[in-house]
Parts: sequence; structure tokens; C-alpha cells
Amino acid sequence: MQTEQRAHTGRQAEIDYYDLVRDDRVHSRLYTDPLIFEDEMEKIFYGGWVYIGHESEIPEPGDYCLKWIGRQSVIMCRDEDGRVHAFMNRCRHRGNSVCQWERGNANFFRCAYHGWTYRNTGELVGVPYRDRYPHLEQKDLGLTPVPFTGSYRGFLFGSLRDPGMGLHEYLGPAVLREIDNFCDLSPLGEIEVRAGVQKSTYRGNWKLQAENVVDGYHVAFVHQSFFDLHKVRHPGESNPVNSLVNATSYDLGNGHTKLLPVSILSGLRDAPWFADYVRALEAAHGKERAQELVATGETHMLVFPNMAILQSQIRVIYPRAVDQTDVHYYVVRWKGIPDAMTERLLRRHEEFFGPAGFGSPDDVEMFERSQVGLNARVDPWLLLIRGQGSEERDDLGVLVGRYDDEVTQRAFWRRYRQVMTA
Amino acid sequence: MAVDRRALEDFLYREARLMDEHCYDEWLSLWAPDSLYLVPCSQEDIDPAHTVNIITDGPERRQDRVTRLKSGNAYAQEPPSRLVRLISNVEVLEERADGEVVVRSNFLLVELRRGCQRLLAGRQWHRLRPRDSSFEIVWRKVVLLNNDEPVSNLTFLI
Repeated sequence: MQTEQRAHTGRQAEIDYYDLVRDDRVHSRLYTDPLIFEDEMEKIFYGGWVYIGHESEIPEPGDYCLKWIGRQSVIMCRDEDGRVHAFMNRCRHRGNSVCQWERGNANFFRCAYHGWTYRNTGELVGVPYRDRYPHLEQKDLGLTPVPFTGSYRGFLFGSLRDPGMGLHEYLGPAVLREIDNFCDLSPLGEIEVRAGVQKSTYRGNWKLQAENVVDGYHVAFVHQSFFDLHKVRHPGESNPVNSLVNATSYDLGNGHTKLLPVSILSGLRDAPWFADYVRALEAAHGKERAQELVATGETHMLVFPNMAILQSQIRVIYPRAVDQTDVHYYVVRWKGIPDAMTERLLRRHEEFFGPAGFGSPDDVEMFERSQVGLNARVDPWLLLIRGQGSEERDDLGVLVGRYDDEVTQRAFWRRYRQVMTA
Repeated sequence: MAVDRRALEDFLYREARLMDEHCYDEWLSLWAPDSLYLVPCSQEDIDPAHTVNIITDGPERRQDRVTRLKSGNAYAQEPPSRLVRLISNVEVLEERADGEVVVRSNFLLVELRRGCQRLLAGRQWHRLRPRDSSFEIVWRKVVLLNNDEPVSNLTFLI
């Protein structure tokens, strides 16, 4: 035992994150070293707030779904009283996983191995042949809850260790406002994450996806083929890429970041149902707020470490190994919008996103190409100096750069370094 | 008159070969003008009006797909994956008086890309309408075995 502890400490002493994560550059070992990956699992995924799922995925009492915190399987479920729980998917007896289906409805979870049975409140209600456990305290052996949970507008987060601050404090007012804007695109103020999920995987490190989702610099190059299609389909319209020159990027604090893109709604104004939609928004939120939402309600934000909200999706990053990452695109429906608008947004999502979209796969290709290049060690630094020193602070103190600056990557790495050296 | 099974199978093999060999325009020409191409990301029957797919392509988006693949800027297929697929278990599910048929088949697709060879398996359904001495595709659905699990890029023609 002591030898193992010394070896563990010895390994950790080798990783100097102050050396690897500088203010203007990061070391490629952060993407390729399996020891750093394990350290990230411990400190980031098991040591602080991570996104679990959206409560609308389990709308009815008894509904459940399986999620991940790092590589730990978690049951997200709703009990008969409508309360949402998050439990470790693990029998308290000898560790079997008690839930095998990705989603469903059940009042109980029964471990198939020895028949221990748990209510969907977590309570252990059945232990077969109890007579051989004369002193068993069943009330102490319920499914282990994720120790810290919090939610905002249905976005459920969990932390396996004391995160040191409440969820709302961790997210901060800017992120809460973005989530409000996103949800309030619904006249009922509610999203439904029940429109299906596209799941993709790539041979590359998880941080490549986290950095890319708030990267403005790559858009004109990697997605050129998509914009060329747009030119053909909408001749006479200006290229959306041109309008990005005046767009901005933001460090929202605690590693959360945002791009201000062209609004998804701007391309829908000619649709026959658009006016009805705006009227419904005005009736629900008032004219001024409705106009604000239509103009800038759409967000494009990374919530550190593993979740992004953009267009009509919630994107969740699941690290599997130092060079293997799963990415799930959960498509969002807004309650109370016209059916034709819902259908249009679904088709629009498919156009760019997912494994056969005209956009995402080229990003994924870049991640896999990066993972190859990053293994070259002679010159190991990644430059993150774009726009450094030219940022401004807005009225709320938020650091703002140009859309194609690397202010978002620098913000990510500052938080990363803070967590990894804590 | 019963459908010519040989002609039917030849059509399915030909479509497979055109996809394997990245003959994008020829593959496009197999489709009827009013056709739909579906690749769901669920094993359940879903309604595209409410649920997302991996691919929901009418003629316009299918054309865009091909245009993009031919552009040289679709990096996920630069260079193109090396592909070979097998089609088997062909069953005729429906035959209409006007000659339209619904046929179901299985496929096993092997992709080689950047030194990594992967298998994709699935079932497919075609609704085919007679055209000239062959068929055109009115509707096609591809259900990958692992469509609700994480998949790598599916940028080549499935």
C-alpha cells in the first residue's frame, strides 16, 4: 500500500502544469500523455461540476436514462413524486451495474446478480434471503447518489467531490443569462431534449473538441465547402462568413466561453410561420424581450469542462482515453413553437451536424489529424497568442475578443491549470 | 409478372459498387426526382417531423452532398476512404402491379482510413420503381447496427 502511494505521488510530481500550460502556449503532452488523462479524470471529471443531462429527458415519473461522469455510469431518474435523482449505477453489494438500458421507465432497479432491489428513490427495498445478514442496515445501503447535484432550467450538473462552490456560482451570471436566452426562445420558456441524439466518436483527445466548439478562426477554412453550398443555394445573399469579421468571442469566467455567431433565426425570417412564432414570443415574454431574443437569443457557449449549447443542440463531450473521445449531439425542441419550425430546425441541424453532416465531420477530421501531429515532440508547443493583449473588458468585466481570436482557448486553459494545480 | 430478381440484385450490387468507388454523379443518377434517403440514429421507428436523423436527404440535399464530396474541400474524405461492401439476404417485401418493389437486404461495409480498418453492418430498405431496363430509387432507408452508438465519420456514401 505505501509503495503504491509513493509511486502515485511520484508520478504526480512529474506533471508540472505550470510548465505545460503557459499564458500564451500549451504543451502537446497535454493531449498525448495517458498519465495526464488519468489526472484529468480525477481532478476535472471527478473533482468538480460536470454536466449530466437535461431533466426534460426524463419527463414522467419512473423515467430514467443512463449518463456518464467521466467513465463512471450514472442513472438519472425521476421518482413517483417527480423528483429527479442521479445515482451511481452500481449495486452496493458487489458492484454489479443495476441498470442496463440506456433509457426506459421503471419503479425499481433490480440487480440481476443476487437480486438486490432498489426503488427509484435509491432506497434498498429487497435483499433476498436476509436471514444470513443479521445486522444489515438496509437504510445505509441505498444506491449511492452523486454527492453534489444542482440544476438550472433543467440542466442537471453533478460533482463527485465537494466542488467548493454552488452550481449557480460556478456557472456565473453570464452563463445563467445565456441559458435563459436559450430556453426563452420557447414561448413557454421550456426546452425538450427529446428529439433524438447523434453520437459520434473520434481518435483524438477530448480537449480538441472543447477548444474547437468555441473556435472562430477555423470556420472560414474548415467549413469552406459548406459556405460554398450556401452560395449556390442562396445566390445574391452575402456569405455568412463575411459577417463574422465583426463578431466577438468571450471569456465568461471559470473556463466558460462563448462565440457570438450569426443567429440561427436570421435565416428563417422568410418562413411562413416566422411571424406567428414572433407573435407567440411577444405574447409570452413581452415585445422588447421577444425582439432581444430573436436578435441574440441563440447562444454558442462552452460550459467547462464538457458541455456546449449552440444552435439547436446540447453537445456533450465524453473522454474515453487520451486519444479517444465520444461526442453526443442532443437535439433540442422548443415547446410552443410551430411544428413546421421544429421540423425545419431538425433538418437544419442534420445539414451541418452529426457524423454525416456537411460541417462536423470536417472538424472531427481536424481532431484526428491534430492527434497525429501532436505526437511529434521536437517542437512541442501550441501557440495561443491570437488577439492576445487586444482584448477589451465589457461593462460586466467580461473579457471580449474578436470572433477569430484565441481568447476562448486561453480562458479554457486558465481554468484547466487552476483545477489541475489545486 | 414477378420482378426479375436477377435485375434487382444487379441493381443493389451496382449501387454498392458506385458508392464504394466514389462514383458520386452516377450514384445520384440512380435516384428518382421525388426520392428520399434516410439514415436514422435510432433502432426504433421514429418520425422525422419530431426526431433527428443522421441523414434525411431529399433530392436537393443529396445533390449538395455530392457537390461537397467532389469539391476537394470535404476534408473528412480527403483522401477518400477505401471501401468495400457486401450485399446479401435480399428479400422482396412488396411487389406492386405497376412494377414498384420494396426490397430489404443486409450489408457489411469495410472502411480503411488512416491505417484503421472498421466494419459497419446494417440493414437497408429500397423502394424501387422500374426505369428503362433497371430501376430508380424512390425511397431508401439504411439502419446501421450501431446507429445509436458512437460512430466515426460517415461522410462517404452509405
